Amino acid sequence: MDHTIIFQPSGRRGLVPEGTTILEAARRLGVGIEAVCGEQLVCGKCRVKVMEGKFPKEDITSSMGHLSGLDEKEVKVLQRKESEENIRLACSTKIYGDVLVFVPEASRTGKQVVSKAAGKIKVKLKPAVRKYYVELPLPSLDDPLGDFERLEEALAKAHGAKKLSIDYRVLQQLPDAIRKGDWKVTATVWQGREVIRVEPGKVESSIGLAVDIGTTTCAGYLTDLNTGEVLATESMMNPQVRYGEDVMSRITYCMMNEGTGLKELQQTIIEGLNTIAKQAAKKAGCSPEDISEMTLVGNTAMHHILLGINPEYMGVAPFTPALHESVDVKADRFGIHILPAGNVHVMPIEAGFVGADNVGCLIADQPHKRKEMTLLIDIGTNGELVLGNKEKLISCSCATGPALEGAQIEFGMRAAPGAIERIKINPKTLEATYKVIGNDEWSDGKTNMQAKGICGSAIIDAIAEMFKAGILRKNGQINMDLKSPRLRKGDKGVTEYVLAWKHETSIDQDIVVNQKDVRAIQLAKGALYSGCLIMMRKLGIRKFDRLAVAGAFGSHIDKVEAMVIGMFPDCDLKKVEYIGNAAGDGARIALLNVDRRREANEIARKVEYVELALEEDFNDRFGEAMQFPHMFDEFPHLKGILPGKAQEAA
Amino acid sequence: MATKEKEQELIKRLQDAIINYKVAEAKKIADEAVAVGADAYTVTMEGLAGGMEVVSEKFDSHEYFVPETLLCAKALYAALDVLKPHIQVKEGGAQGQVVLGVMQGDVHDLGKNIIKAIFEASGWTVHDLGRDVPLQKFVDEQLKTDSDIVMLSAMMTTSMVGIKKLIPMIKEKNPKVKIMIGGAPITEKTVEEYGADTTADNAPNALREAMKMLETLRKGKAA
Repeated sequence: MDHTIIFQPSGRRGLVPEGTTILEAARRLGVGIEAVCGEQLVCGKCRVKVMEGKFPKEDITSSMGHLSGLDEKEVKVLQRKESEENIRLACSTKIYGDVLVFVPEASRTGKQVVSKAAGKIKVKLKPAVRKYYVELPLPSLDDPLGDFERLEEALAKAHGAKKLSIDYRVLQQLPDAIRKGDWKVTATVWQGREVIRVEPGKVESSIGLAVDIGTTTCAGYLTDLNTGEVLATESMMNPQVRYGEDVMSRITYCMMNEGTGLKELQQTIIEGLNTIAKQAAKKAGCSPEDISEMTLVGNTAMHHILLGINPEYMGVAPFTPALHESVDVKADRFGIHILPAGNVHVMPIEAGFVGADNVGCLIADQPHKRKEMTLLIDIGTNGELVLGNKEKLISCSCATGPALEGAQIEFGMRAAPGAIERIKINPKTLEATYKVIGNDEWSDGKTNMQAKGICGSAIIDAIAEMFKAGILRKNGQINMDLKSPRLRKGDKGVTEYVLAWKHETSIDQDIVVNQKDVRAIQLAKGALYSGCLIMMRKLGIRKFDRLAVAGAFGSHIDKVEAMVIGMFPDCDLKKVEYIGNAAGDGARIALLNVDRRREANEIARKVEYVELALEEDFNDRFGEAMQFPHMFDEFPHLKGILPGKAQEAA
Repeated sequence: MATKEKEQELIKRLQDAIINYKVAEAKKIADEAVAVGADAYTVTMEGLAGGMEVVSEKFDSHEYFVPETLLCAKALYAALDVLKPHIQVKEGGAQGQVVLGVMQGDVHDLGKNIIKAIFEASGWTVHDLGRDVPLQKFVDEQLKTDSDIVMLSAMMTTSMVGIKKLIPMIKEKNPKVKIMIGGAPITEKTVEEYGADTTADNAPNALREAMKMLETLRKGKAA
């Protein structure tokens, strides 16, 4: 039996089968509800309010009685925050009758501030797709040569393009197109061997789309293939987020829903890609069909799911991917709505956890062409590291988890309006001031800043500032010996530091950083730091010449604060370079130059992958790296910034 | 034979060495204990386990975290390796037996190693299968050793799902055996869904849970 569910304030409504969870219903109806923990009854971020009563306008009678009962675990999670009536967790509440559900602001997946802006790239134009204008000699009874052969001859004569084939769909439209153009046509040729479009008359514009599929955000760069110019940038949340925040939970979804899970996830990302193509084309004033090629980067899981390849085997040790080499597939084979005969070029893979996104970074930054020793860190939902120079490159993947992006953090949220993005703590007064996205003013402790939570870059600020102010000891313990109203024990006896008081927030409660948050960050940054260290040891070096920080999130991090907490080993801060969304830049480079695709395939196989967990002393190094900034290592470049020896001895 | 006073002094120093993670010091004291003929069992239980107990308390109160605990475990093993060959098991004094390992497809063994240290320090016999352990191996090891508890660790959701398959395999051969699961992705919900007996979010809690289960098992046997 089906029941009606209505979501407010979006007004989405629909029928769902009995027993469906509210979260599942939300997914089906396209309502975004936060589900950070992946329906594990942990995070409590999916709380919704159930409205009771008769709603004549909506024509339903909604009641708490139409839902599955509360169980102990849900009660436990709900009790963590002050209770309000009729609040339930969307992930565990099942529907057994009509309901009207209100999704509070804190539970809504907000419109994220996506900042995967296109970087400056230098690339010689040599796209795979070329447009050739030709005027064909008219046929006659003396010269009744077929349309395609006639086109081929003309292309060979004018442009030297020989031995062409033609896409079947294009062939079907060829005779009409040629005649419509009065024997003057523009042929689009892919890789100098296949005709993928024939347009009547002269058409000069040639367009491609480079896409970076991130675990959390996707960005598309509509690019002019004649000039290399970015015509439009379009980004969105990866719509797969609703199936799980991280790669592993999505792989698990595929494993647990055999036969359907993978298809569902694949369809979801393809719809996302189609939206990007459509919106970007609209911005640039063209149609999606004008996009004659698409290049894609993404981590190995995103890659496999997009291609409909079971990601299960790359998700468990020994983490083998289905293939390394790049893949070319016709767009309409997957239902990607660009030029139907257009090619989709999926970039190559290094290893199970170092995917095409990392290859994108490599061809954008080209550490393999430099003499200087580069450490490249791409911080996303996972952290990928590459170290080396033109002699040798090695890579590894660090299980940083999503903590650095604000997940697993009590008041963590994505970089959306209302998120605290910068924090300063006065070491004398222990008072905090912060900045919220969408507001240029720093907080003064009185004004309501409409703060909702803390985003990833600010978590790093918070930890670094707390450490510098002595609120955090070197081992990460919150120092309760200090006296401040901001330092206290929270509900469950967990110590915490109040960042924003209730009257400064829009969520009607204090925003705090607690001991558990600090521990989560320690684990994440310890993973990164120990990864750096082990890689340096592998190459037998004590220091590197250059630190390239990639990733949209990476460019929001304050490098001093990042070094203060010890996200990476000591180095000259002047040599720290933000290289932006290098993965996306790599996709654009591949779009604009076919030789660089070859380079990508070569480099993907050349980089040596290091499995950190297999290093005998990994656990020890990992443990040491969890302290601030490190248990033993010195940070000469932070002289005067790090707290004094007394603090370190604590 | 060492005097009672000497034994107490050694125990106290051993506890301090472990709590303050002094690895070389811990080994030195253990050597001294053996040399003076102190009772290895008493020194282990009171010195090592007593020290680790304090470490657990510090972990609970957030004073210590993974790094410190790892170092304490190191100090513990330095001493335990010396003392172990001299221990004569006392009647009724022995704790239970556990089979411990990281699930197939998973190579993250940090948590498992901490668990092992705490359990061994408390006198449990730990059959450590290591990491990336094939499912059948857990079943076989439990049967072979007749262990009371099987403890499964998974750090990734992808390896966690193997637990669902494994629990019926173990329980089919031996319905009485208790199963504890742990690791980052595991929650109370997983315990229920997968049919495990319990979980714990850190090593001290794991030990407490194991003690409880052992008690239930022994009561069951006595009845």
